[in-house]
Amino acid sequence: MENQTKGAAAMVGGFFRALGSFFSGFGTAVAKGDIFVKLSLLWWGAGYVRRKQYVKAVIMTALEAAVILFTIFFAMDYVPKFGSLGTVRAEKVFNPQTMKSEFNDYDHSFMILLFSLFSFVVWFAAIIVLMKNTMNVYKLQLMDESGEHINTFKEDLVTYIGEKFHITLLTLPVLGVVVFTLVPILLLIFVAFTNYDQQHMPPSELFTWVGFTNFITLFGGGGLTATFGYSFVRVLGWTLVWALFATFTTYIGGILLSIMLNSPKTRLPKCWRTLFVVTIAVPQFVSLLLVRNFFADSGIVNTICKEIGLTGFLHDIGLVSTNNLIPFLSAPGWAHVMIILINIWIGVPYQMLIATGVLMNIPSDQLESAKVDGAKPFQIFVKITMPYMLFVTGPALVTDFVKNINNFNVIYLLTQDVYTTTNQALANSQATEVDLLVTWLFRLTQDYYNYKMASAIGIIVFIICAVFTLIAFNFMIKGDKEGTYQ
Amino acid sequence: MKIRKMKENRTSSIIIHNVILGILAFIWLIPIVWLFFTSFSAESGINTNTFFPEKWSISHYIKLFHPDTVAQFPQWFMNTFVVAVVTCIISTLFVLMVAYATSVMRFPMRKPLMNIAVILNLFPGMLAMIAVYFVLKTFNLTNSYAGLIMVYSASSGLGYLIAKGFFDTVPRALCESARIDGCSEARIFFQMVIPLSRPIVVYTVISSFLVPWMDFVYAKMILNAGISSKYTVAIGLYKMLDKQLINNYFTQFCAGGVLVSIPISILFVIMQKFYVKGITGGAVKG
Repeated sequence: MENQTKGAAAMVGGFFRALGSFFSGFGTAVAKGDIFVKLSLLWWGAGYVRRKQYVKAVIMTALEAAVILFTIFFAMDYVPKFGSLGTVRAEKVFNPQTMKSEFNDYDHSFMILLFSLFSFVVWFAAIIVLMKNTMNVYKLQLMDESGEHINTFKEDLVTYIGEKFHITLLTLPVLGVVVFTLVPILLLIFVAFTNYDQQHMPPSELFTWVGFTNFITLFGGGGLTATFGYSFVRVLGWTLVWALFATFTTYIGGILLSIMLNSPKTRLPKCWRTLFVVTIAVPQFVSLLLVRNFFADSGIVNTICKEIGLTGFLHDIGLVSTNNLIPFLSAPGWAHVMIILINIWIGVPYQMLIATGVLMNIPSDQLESAKVDGAKPFQIFVKITMPYMLFVTGPALVTDFVKNINNFNVIYLLTQDVYTTTNQALANSQATEVDLLVTWLFRLTQDYYNYKMASAIGIIVFIICAVFTLIAFNFMIKGDKEGTYQ
Repeated sequence: MKIRKMKENRTSSIIIHNVILGILAFIWLIPIVWLFFTSFSAESGINTNTFFPEKWSISHYIKLFHPDTVAQFPQWFMNTFVVAVVTCIISTLFVLMVAYATSVMRFPMRKPLMNIAVILNLFPGMLAMIAVYFVLKTFNLTNSYAGLIMVYSASSGLGYLIAKGFFDTVPRALCESARIDGCSEARIFFQMVIPLSRPIVVYTVISSFLVPWMDFVYAKMILNAGISSKYTVAIGLYKMLDKQLINNYFTQFCAGGVLVSIPISILFVIMQKFYVKGITGGAVKG
């Protein structure tokens, strides 16, 4: 991970440097290029015609034509309406020619939003292509002037399995990431500033821009009936508490378990390890759904607890309100603790696998000399093993924290349909005490079609994740500590 | 005398050590054992009285292969299998392609692209989820396997770091000499680096094959029309535990869970082996 050692600031700096050199390259090409290079700004194929690269000229011209046709026949249907997101409602109108009532030529707000965004992306890509194209043509001019050989089309094609093979390799994966990660995030940001919800559901209704209204609702505004502000604070608080506990319990548990397994005292270490790995090899939707029924209000654990008198005892000391059952996953407090405990069950073997890999690389001379000096195992753990683990897995710890903020599976599979909140304020905004921000936004979209609030929550989660990763990254990697353990 | 005492001390501490491990393993395996035994129960609902079933039978495994309107296990298994195979092919290609390009080749955009990948990797795909759902809905790709496959494999290139780490250890001199002999990059990729990297290729194949089997949330989101015959295993089993169905289908759920878990666990353990092989094998060569 050569990037992580540099820190976030250097990454951002490097990005802007690359951007700067791209623009200056384009500037030089336009300023110093001959008339054909300048003409290439208007007709993309011009420079290639001059250097007798006719096939390339045809391809670039066709590409330019495609962008223009796309703009005229597709983008122009949507982009001009982007400001209002549509004004014509869907209505059935009687058509005298066919003698039937038909839908009018209505505006579909979501299509307008999505396809406008799509057009922006296409145009952005077209500008990049235009600039890159101009630079290429200028390069050809320089090569021509110094009398170098200019590739034929066939030779150009061969470079794509030769020195330009990386372009062949990377195009599809990068396109996949752009379409399925970057574009959706942009779309999410747009939707958060509209009133797209069940009352404004295209095609029958329109939705429109509402500015920061959704965020104001989320932060406590929005009148007396809206309880989103209250729920947001509650859910956010639990999300952070959960992420903290889930990360550290499994991290430390994983290290301890892996030290125990790798100790020379362990007989048949492989056998033990396989036993623990089996628990995570079972898909989570099986194991978590099972555990949820294991601890259900009328489940087997409750029966056993009642028989051995634990339920009665807990009732006597006031931890349980009824004499019949322990609400493991159905009452606040109990459910919170149980979820963290069950997560230890799920998460420790994972961390054990990771920690085993790291522990094997601890410089053994350090451990040996510590033992010779008479250090106790506990001292070795605190003074050598933990600092080494923290150094190597520190960044991973931060990533784990962010992953736990978004740990959908554990919360959803354990509590959905089982946990019903008795808190009216939370129920009004479709949240529960055990929801994470992500499970809350999932329910808002899937069951209540409240896309505007879900998008606003999504953006907040996004910002939280970004802040945590950037701060923690810079904090942990400040200074060059790479040499310490090498 | 002293030596003997020390030896006894050692033996007893070994016993304590292994007993603690045993207790831990026991706690960790209770739910799995319960799943296994419950699947052989003769009752259809949850047995809330005893840990082990009161009457034993394999009838629910047999029922699993005679689909009714709710439970169509063979169909779900096939659906998941098809999705998994296609996802596996696309994801493996993407991962290996990105890993090779960033590891073996040098080009100006390499560093910026890798930095962007690090940042994007930090943000879990969960966040873009609802927006992906919007897009798929607009193009009528919800409730279709094409949409599901796209979601699983489109961004898979971001998971290239492990494979890149392995490719980094393939001796550079080999690639250089091949280049001098006039080998194209494509041939170096397919005929040298891939055959040398068998452990990591196997690891990538298995791990991307497992994604659709392990996933719950994307399938739940995309296959939301409620048509049982179109479900994947995850959604099908989840639906069996609906409040109205759980009393009739809980044992079948357990049986289905066991049948799915066995192949997945085996693949998972194999994958771990190849992962360790990939890492240690690479270190020796470097």
